[in-house]
Amino acid sequence: MLPLAALSLVAFSCVAPSGGGGCGGPAPQGWSGFASYNGTLYFGSMDGRVFAFDPSARSRGVTFPGEGEWVFAIEAPAAPGSMCGPLGCAPASVAVNIYSTPAAADNLVYVGTYYVKGGGAEGKVLAMSPSARGEGRVFPVRKENEWVYPHDKYGAVGAIVGDLALDESTIYIGSSDGKVYALDTIYGDLKWEFETGDKIWTSPAVKDGIVYVGNYEGKLYALSSQDGSLRWEIELPTSIASSPVVSGDSVFFGTFDNYLYAIDSASGKEKWRFKGGNWFWANPVVKDGVVYAGCLDHRIYALDARAGIELWQFVADAPIVSTPVLTGNLLIAVSKSGEMYVLEANGGALERTVSIGSSVMAPLYAEENMVYVHARNRCVCGVDVQSGEKVWELCYSDID
Amino acid sequence: MIELWNTIIFEPVLNSLIALCTILVDNFGFAIIALTVIVRVVLFPLTMRQTQSTKAMQSLQPKLQELQKKYAKNQQKLQQETMKLYKEAGINPLGCLWPMLVQLPIWIALYQSIMRALAATPENLLDLSQHLYSWQIVAQAVPLNENFLWLQLSQPDRYLLLAILVGVTMWVQQKMVTAPATDPKQRSMTQMTTLMMPLMFAMFTLSFPSGLALYWVVSNIIGIVIQYFVTGGWGYLTMPSVLKPASSQKPIPTRKLSAAQQPSKIAKKASEQSKTLQKDSGEKRGLFKR
Repeated sequence: MLPLAALSLVAFSCVAPSGGGGCGGPAPQGWSGFASYNGTLYFGSMDGRVFAFDPSARSRGVTFPGEGEWVFAIEAPAAPGSMCGPLGCAPASVAVNIYSTPAAADNLVYVGTYYVKGGGAEGKVLAMSPSARGEGRVFPVRKENEWVYPHDKYGAVGAIVGDLALDESTIYIGSSDGKVYALDTIYGDLKWEFETGDKIWTSPAVKDGIVYVGNYEGKLYALSSQDGSLRWEIELPTSIASSPVVSGDSVFFGTFDNYLYAIDSASGKEKWRFKGGNWFWANPVVKDGVVYAGCLDHRIYALDARAGIELWQFVADAPIVSTPVLTGNLLIAVSKSGEMYVLEANGGALERTVSIGSSVMAPLYAEENMVYVHARNRCVCGVDVQSGEKVWELCYSDID
Repeated sequence: MIELWNTIIFEPVLNSLIALCTILVDNFGFAIIALTVIVRVVLFPLTMRQTQSTKAMQSLQPKLQELQKKYAKNQQKLQQETMKLYKEAGINPLGCLWPMLVQLPIWIALYQSIMRALAATPENLLDLSQHLYSWQIVAQAVPLNENFLWLQLSQPDRYLLLAILVGVTMWVQQKMVTAPATDPKQRSMTQMTTLMMPLMFAMFTLSFPSGLALYWVVSNIIGIVIQYFVTGGWGYLTMPSVLKPASSQKPIPTRKLSAAQQPSKIAKKASEQSKTLQKDSGEKRGLFKR
């Protein structure tokens, strides 16, 4: 069977479903969304850099970087020395990916990283000062309160895929090593950690002193934000696909058996569940008693938050991977193919469509009439949802 | 084309693999082993046919080598005589290829399924969603538990053990079926291939997910077992790589085959033809002298 195995290997590369990245499918690249702070937007690029840009400067067509704008390349902690194998030596540095949307507060921007090293995926949390990064100083500048967690140069936590959750003086991180970390925002010191027992690829949610987090064992945990003590936990038939979103007295999230769940935030009891045609991968958005949920079955569902009854649905041209946003009475969603849909939040009527021109997986971000999109062609753009016009676009592949 | 491939071959194999994972106590390592065994059992008649065809072809080797010597300077005549020999022996030289071609898509799909199901990165996991059936048994297993023995199935084995296993099993399997050559050039080429391929795959193991390497090891072991029972022993594994004069060779121990394992009519005919040819040429270089 040796010829078969060899031929399989070659043929596999030829017939593998499209997506690139070799025989294992698409390579890790990241899909960070945007965080806003003091009029500046921050996002993690698909080549492991953090960008700070001023939307108004982009609208005016100012050459990047304009005033207050900067770019910072994150370096993964290099192993001591290069790694040598039978085919030669490889450099010790590894590529960094950013999946988590940055968080920003108190003159610091927080980013979680994902990099593959030594046969496993690891990550770190970085706190960056916009002023120190703007001046291009060597990271981390302690006087500017910049830090890296773990503080040890070669230390790491499991890779970070979900977003970081900020609450007062604490930042909460779910990690691929199955732990929830609570870090001090100013010094990056560990306040507490909680072991869930399986990979966490979603974001924690914090509300009223409780941290909600789901893992790939199909468990949803409610932890005290003060000390990480367990308030309650529930086990679901399958793993949790989307990040939990807390609204009112309910926690909403999707699972791998195609359900969207509503759980009582105080007791963990199931309120209702709604079956879609595929995974609810994108995080649900809740407003005025309505849950808007994008699904990989190409549909956007609007459900009554109390009873889980379907109010309307809209069929898109491709799976909805990216988390939609609400602005005014409009719901903006973008499909994986890059088609943006501007819908009336009330009845789901289509107002207009905008073609982004590339696949989109990163969550959308909205400020007033502008929606910001991070596309897979390594460009970010601002779209005026009232006019449906793509006002500006910044492609960062060419930016050093 | 890709859609057709995914629908007809890849997705059924992928979903079977994931469903097996749920059945086998959420253990993807067991699922890989089980599906490899199942596929091998289903394809066993084809494997047998392929092995027997190869064996029949090999039984003609002495006569073919004679022809090569005789018509070394006349390629056209050599081709004609070779085809004539095949015709007389009732062997289709491509007969050992078609069973392999039939099996190939299944193996490629199995190979793809293991790589895709492991979903080592978030992009991989997202991509997986487009290929899954809406069966509860499939949904229950996703994302897969990648821990198996000392391995993290989506990552390469850090301890080299799997690379050694892949290399050794592949070498044994290849050695069992590779006939020693008399021609020094051909011999050197054969020896190189027998050594290089296992080495190459052992190298792949160092950088590929260990789930895939596990599949290679299991597949190789089953291949060795099949080969052992079909050829009635260790085949060429116990033979020296350089052929000695016929008088000094010892016969390879043979095993009695069950009715189901008896060679096909084609193989029997080829074997008989070969015996006649060997008798004619006064040589005893055939290995399967049952």
